[in-house]
Amino acid sequence: MSENTGSPALTGLADLDRLVHEPARLAIMALLYVIESADFTFLMNQTGLTWGNLSAHMSKLEEAGYLEVEKSFKGRRPNTTLRLTPQGRAAFHEYAQKMKRVFQDLPA
Amino acid sequence: MSAQLSLKEIERKAFRSTYQDGLWDIYYGLIVMCMSIFVYRPPKGYSPMNIILSTLMISLSYGLFWAGKKYITLPRMGQVRFGSMRKQKARTLAIVLGVFVLIQVGLVGLTTLGWLNPDAGAKLNTYLNERNSGLLVVAVIGALMVGPSIIVIAYFSDFPRGYYIAIMMALAVFVMIYLNQPLYAIMIGGLIILPGLVLFVRFLKTYPLQPKDGSYE
Repeated sequence: MSENTGSPALTGLADLDRLVHEPARLAIMALLYVIESADFTFLMNQTGLTWGNLSAHMSKLEEAGYLEVEKSFKGRRPNTTLRLTPQGRAAFHEYAQKMKRVFQDLPA
Repeated sequence: MSAQLSLKEIERKAFRSTYQDGLWDIYYGLIVMCMSIFVYRPPKGYSPMNIILSTLMISLSYGLFWAGKKYITLPRMGQVRFGSMRKQKARTLAIVLGVFVLIQVGLVGLTTLGWLNPDAGAKLNTYLNERNSGLLVVAVIGALMVGPSIIVIAYFSDFPRGYYIAIMMALAVFVMIYLNQPLYAIMIGGLIILPGLVLFVRFLKTYPLQPKDGSYE
């Protein structure tokens, strides 16, 4: 058995949640982290992602249990409200903490 | 620390994006125009028509604002609910505005007291008339009631254009009362509406209607 001799910062990087780490999903989660909820159109406008792209990332986050999706009707228009689940919030928070630890000693 | 700051910036940017449609500017501009009718004192004397007409116009302005938000802005921009920090700010704003209203009620109370106590009222009137400053004082008080209220709203609503609107509205109230000329106030209202219209047109170009009706499958 070989002993793990890697630097803690680097092994920390290897442990990053890849679901959160992807840039588009990171943008989605960062936005949903600072607000309570938003609908699909608002997220699309704020993140600059296309409908299909956003939809695909949403599915992945929803499957992981990071995102709660609520479908309703506004008049006759279907409306989808999205919010982070407590699990999603925790995952984003943990990701942010890990990244902070990795970069805190970065020389100027 | 820097992570916190950038998240704050994301939240602020998202919040301020709700003002990009220019509808608040248009609404405030219309309010100034309505007020010009409300405050105007015709040579034949103040008529209830002033109140009726300005109330109708304010209702119409609010109707336009509401319809614009509901049928133009929301389908293009989408809906969002902000977190507890914004709710706390809204509560603080309500409290501060409540204090402003109390001060204004106090001023109205003092005026009523002057009516009920003719000696004190006469003394004040003589004092102001000697200086030919009666109208000037009323105009300054009116401007001081409106300006700071809108500044407070702008501050707590994180609405930077609100400071410009506050100054213009205070100026409009002052001019309306002191010069008794609705045209100036209508022009000032136009100066508030103009940037709003520019923003509104830009908003329509930047945010086209979403063909997928905003639902996610």
